[in-house]
Amino acid sequence: MAALCSEFGDLVQIKKQLISVISLCKERGLVHSVKWASELAFALDPLPKNELPPSATFTEEDAQDLDALGLAKSYFDLKEYDRAAYFLRGCRSQKAYFLYMYSRYLSGEKKKDDETVDSLGPLEKGQVRNEALRELRVELSKKHSAGELDGFTLYLYGVVLRKLDLLKEAVDVFVEATHALPLHWGAWLELCNLITNIDMLKSLSLPDCWIRDFFMAHMYTELQMIKEALQKYQSLIESGFSKSTYIISQIAVAYHNIRDIDQALALFNELREQDPFRIENMDTFSNLLYVRSMKPELSYLAHNLVEIDKYRVETCCVIGNYYSLRSQHEKAALYFQRALKLNPRCLGAWTLMGHEYMEMKNTSAAIQAYRHAIEVNKRDYRAWYGLGQTYEILKMPFYCLYYYRKAHQLRPNDSRMLVALGESYEKLSQHVEAKKCYWRAYSVGDVERMALLKLAKLHEQLNESDDAAQCYIIYIQDIFSCGEQLEHAEAREEGKALLRQISQVRDHMEASSTDLFGPLSSNTPVRRVSPLDLSSFSP
Amino acid sequence: MASVHESLYFNPMMTNGVVHANVFGIKDWVTPYKISVLALLYEMTTSKPIALQERRRLNKLILPLQQGPDLTLDQFLKTVEECCPQTAYAVKLRLHEMADGELKDMEYFFATLPTPFSAIDSEAYKTSVVGLFMRHMLLAYNKLSFSQVYKLYKSLQQYYHSHYAQPGDVQVGLPALAADDSDMDLTSTEDNVGERMEKEELDTAPLHESELRNEDAPSKGPLSQKQAEYFLARQAYLLKNDENKALKPSALQDELNNMLKFNPDFAEAHYLSYLNSMRVQDIFISTHSLLHYFDRLILSGSEGKSNGDEGYGRSLRYAALNLAALHCRFGHYQQADLALQEAIRIAQESNDHVCLQHCLSWLYTLEQMKGSDSSVLTEDSVKMAAHFCLPYLVSLGIQSLVQQGAVQGKTAHELMDALKDTDILHWKHSLSELIDISLAQTTSIWRMYGKSTMAQQQAQLLLNMNSLEQVNFGVQQNNTEAFAVALCHLAELHAEQGLYGAVSEVLKHLKEQFPPHTQHAKLWMLCDLKIQFDRAMNDGKYHLAEPHVTAIAALNKTEGLYRKAQVLKALNRTTEAYSILQRLQLYCEKTKYTEMIIRVMLVTAELHWESSGFATALPLLLQALALARQHHLQALASETILHLAFTQLMLGVPEQALGVLHEAMEPILAHGAVMDKGRALLLAARCQMAIAGTRSNGQRHAALGLAVQSLGEAAAYFSMLDCKERLRDVHYLQARLHHTLGQTPQRNKCAMLFRLLDQELQAPGAAVAMRL
Repeated sequence: MAALCSEFGDLVQIKKQLISVISLCKERGLVHSVKWASELAFALDPLPKNELPPSATFTEEDAQDLDALGLAKSYFDLKEYDRAAYFLRGCRSQKAYFLYMYSRYLSGEKKKDDETVDSLGPLEKGQVRNEALRELRVELSKKHSAGELDGFTLYLYGVVLRKLDLLKEAVDVFVEATHALPLHWGAWLELCNLITNIDMLKSLSLPDCWIRDFFMAHMYTELQMIKEALQKYQSLIESGFSKSTYIISQIAVAYHNIRDIDQALALFNELREQDPFRIENMDTFSNLLYVRSMKPELSYLAHNLVEIDKYRVETCCVIGNYYSLRSQHEKAALYFQRALKLNPRCLGAWTLMGHEYMEMKNTSAAIQAYRHAIEVNKRDYRAWYGLGQTYEILKMPFYCLYYYRKAHQLRPNDSRMLVALGESYEKLSQHVEAKKCYWRAYSVGDVERMALLKLAKLHEQLNESDDAAQCYIIYIQDIFSCGEQLEHAEAREEGKALLRQISQVRDHMEASSTDLFGPLSSNTPVRRVSPLDLSSFSP
Repeated sequence: MASVHESLYFNPMMTNGVVHANVFGIKDWVTPYKISVLALLYEMTTSKPIALQERRRLNKLILPLQQGPDLTLDQFLKTVEECCPQTAYAVKLRLHEMADGELKDMEYFFATLPTPFSAIDSEAYKTSVVGLFMRHMLLAYNKLSFSQVYKLYKSLQQYYHSHYAQPGDVQVGLPALAADDSDMDLTSTEDNVGERMEKEELDTAPLHESELRNEDAPSKGPLSQKQAEYFLARQAYLLKNDENKALKPSALQDELNNMLKFNPDFAEAHYLSYLNSMRVQDIFISTHSLLHYFDRLILSGSEGKSNGDEGYGRSLRYAALNLAALHCRFGHYQQADLALQEAIRIAQESNDHVCLQHCLSWLYTLEQMKGSDSSVLTEDSVKMAAHFCLPYLVSLGIQSLVQQGAVQGKTAHELMDALKDTDILHWKHSLSELIDISLAQTTSIWRMYGKSTMAQQQAQLLLNMNSLEQVNFGVQQNNTEAFAVALCHLAELHAEQGLYGAVSEVLKHLKEQFPPHTQHAKLWMLCDLKIQFDRAMNDGKYHLAEPHVTAIAALNKTEGLYRKAQVLKALNRTTEAYSILQRLQLYCEKTKYTEMIIRVMLVTAELHWESSGFATALPLLLQALALARQHHLQALASETILHLAFTQLMLGVPEQALGVLHEAMEPILAHGAVMDKGRALLLAARCQMAIAGTRSNGQRHAALGLAVQSLGEAAAYFSMLDCKERLRDVHYLQARLHHTLGQTPQRNKCAMLFRLLDQELQAPGAAVAMRL
């Protein structure tokens, strides 16, 4: 930690670096990296005039290409990529070369998108691809082996490789790119998308730079190692980035991922104060509001976002959540569909749409939506869980086992999947498995605090009253221990009643156990887990 | 992968949040290959008359060309050239005109195609296969937008020029690149890509999904829906009937992944993937594919009512049922049971009797597999299925009942009657698959009863019958289980008669037809091992028989244990053999495996003989005889009588023994194995000898003469099998008899034969007196 602080000691230096990288990226049309760096730079104190870094020095080649570059850049900005590439073809400088290749790449991407609409038939969908990629790859790989690529071109080479699904090579190239130009956030972000587990992360040799801490924090969030991520972000804040909206939003998302709803809400509110026209991450915010059923706040957010830009994925998701909370599920589904039209890779929307269809009792459409979500990302546990629930509603407890098992596999420490598995097993009269599931659910930290109660009831059904009593007692202790919270007051009363009844049951358990517990089970909170509860944990 | 999904959302036909498969109703579209086929058809209809034979060959080509996947121009021209070089040249010329000309040449080509609506007399009449194809193509072409027409023309040019870029080369899948006018050395970069891809594939080999990701792998292009449907139907048929001709599992999976990459909505491909992974016993992928298929299917049937006959309620039921079947195939009986109960419950709730019947038939199958008695269930199933007019299920049920009846000792005429009834049903509904099964079953039943001739006849009948399946019409054999069973029986029957040359022929054929990795291969493996084991035992080469035991046990535990006991007995490890036999008998009594019980009893009796406990063997043998008679197992009954007679002989009542033996002699000579015939005659001779000993001199000579005769016959049988140990015994007895009868030259001859064999065998054989 100390090392980290000392490294960040020289905020002025960092600010200078940021300013220079902003101008570099700007010249090359890398808008997203510019945005990120600018946001960060904005969070730091402004530099006095004499401290401002001098603009980059011109080489002979740069001077030669200056006019062509200016012309091409203007075409590039107007999205006339082929035209830009044409005027850059003879240029020698690194900057021009990057812009030349980047225009060709973007031109290919643009054409691909246009083609998709115009493809010959539904079966040809998969065939549409960026035709420029192969050529780019051949040219870039030649230069790469000759060692002529700078940080930006390396980044472009990595992107090309990734698009061609040559993931291993892409990772190597991105690592190289970060070494060549550590300040370019785009390369880090691409790397982030390619790393799938912590071992892979550890095996990479990354440049030792302050930006690396940002990357690690981001990575930890992605890999669901929230505790580590929060620690990193905290230390970043302490070392002087406390005003950065980027970090605040990241921390809020992290809290959201570990279901610390209050913290996350507080941070999001702070974020909106600092940056009222921000749209990014607002879908996550709306998820939180939804879970807390904060209708007025959600409504305000939705209206506000619509005023800013109604054709954004985030806006549509927020509106979808808003309608869902108002139980207007058709409209909610419509807005999720719109979100998907804007960005089909938006996985959360598929799952949310599935939930909406579930609410509308349109099981087949729900199954479809979930299936699509799974096709976009096989590791989407919410979709697997949703599928399981759908089949459970269709009264196919054995069939849904497979889906719950999948979900459980992806999130082994989530009690909801375990409880669902347990319920299914119970329906199938597989008591041993059911008991195991419930107990495991309790052991990993039960969210809904239902597992123990269910376990106790199961024991009771099987006439194992000692075990049942044991479970009830643990349950009651559990409830008491968090008795301060108001919402559990009712549960506490219930627990007391239970305790009384247990002692009665012990006296004459065979005869009257069912009678005694008949009315009881009606007021215990045995409600189903609403499918939408899951939405609060979208990563 | 992204692009696969991205385009989904531009669909104007998205309803209910669900994109329906094949939204545009386009099943086919124009590709350069299709244009070549059109050119071929055009040439065939318009050009000067072609020689009749060549025309015939071309006509045969049309359907595969229309339905098959897109070929490169090279392949296409080669196939056409083989039929008619002249037409191939004309087609090439026409394509050349288009590709080297302008866009208008292609437009002109489509304009001049004979319209199926106008041409009434030509082959391109609107309802003909060719006409339909042309109409499809014209329609698809007319629907193209301006940019699409241009794109089509560009790809046609590429298609045509790639033919010249690598003349005669077999490189497939490069047309997109080959035409690019880059100045780089194309081949070297391509090789590079290829290598990298290979590496990539190796790295991610265990991942099923990763194959989907390999967009650049040199795989074939997308199939149109028609082509895909044809491909799937063909492969599924082959998987069911003739696995050898289907693609290899890995190749098929590659094809399917490719298909799914281009059209993720094509749910049927998931089902084929399920079948395919069943072939390689991969439970993970097969479950995954099955569930995915039904998740998809639910979509396509969603217009109907939720629980009516149509609609997704129906597919839900069948989904559960299929899951049960899957678990059944993998031997997860408990899981299968749960899934089946679920299917039954849903089917009951929605009053789907047909589905219920299917469930019922799976239920009794499951019970049978678990080893419990399910005849009541089966009977119910047959009755109900008959009521709902489901002939397939009816006769399947009856066949299952017959099988159970045969095991439980029903009389032959009842079983045969039942089979005859089902046969009528089969022929009426032409259920060719069940006809095969029925014949194979009859073979097995006759074999069980010990009527080898009848069994052989039925097996031959099945093997010589022409297939009734439409696709394989006229082909004599399919690769179904029935054929494997019949062929195995045939091999064993031949082995019994000592015709080992024929046996190896049959087994070779089996090996070709059912390669070791296929699901029915276990049948012939077991059969092969049993035959080898029996041979080794008969030859007295116990050390050779021993390794077979392990192999047999791997395929069939009960059989393995039995064989192990036999080997142990032969090696004089009596105690171990005895304990195994006891265990086996208990187990078989529990599972009601009558044949094995009798066999075990016989071996146990033989064990008693070795300790001279003839009197103790007697009740055991009588019990075995009663069992065999009760179940009409003639072969085993005869075998038991042989044992009984031998015991009586050893107990000193040869007259009784001979009397008993005469009872069994006839069936043995008629149906028995050569070995049994020899043994029976040898035993008869020994009885006759024993009786002769008690007779007066005159009668004695006559009796001994009879014995000599029997011995001669026995020797003939044994020499057929080349069973040297027994031959030695026979020659010894012959020599002794001739000596007694004073026939010195014959005696000397037999003595010499004995001496030769004795020297060859070296090991002092078991005491002659002590074995059957």
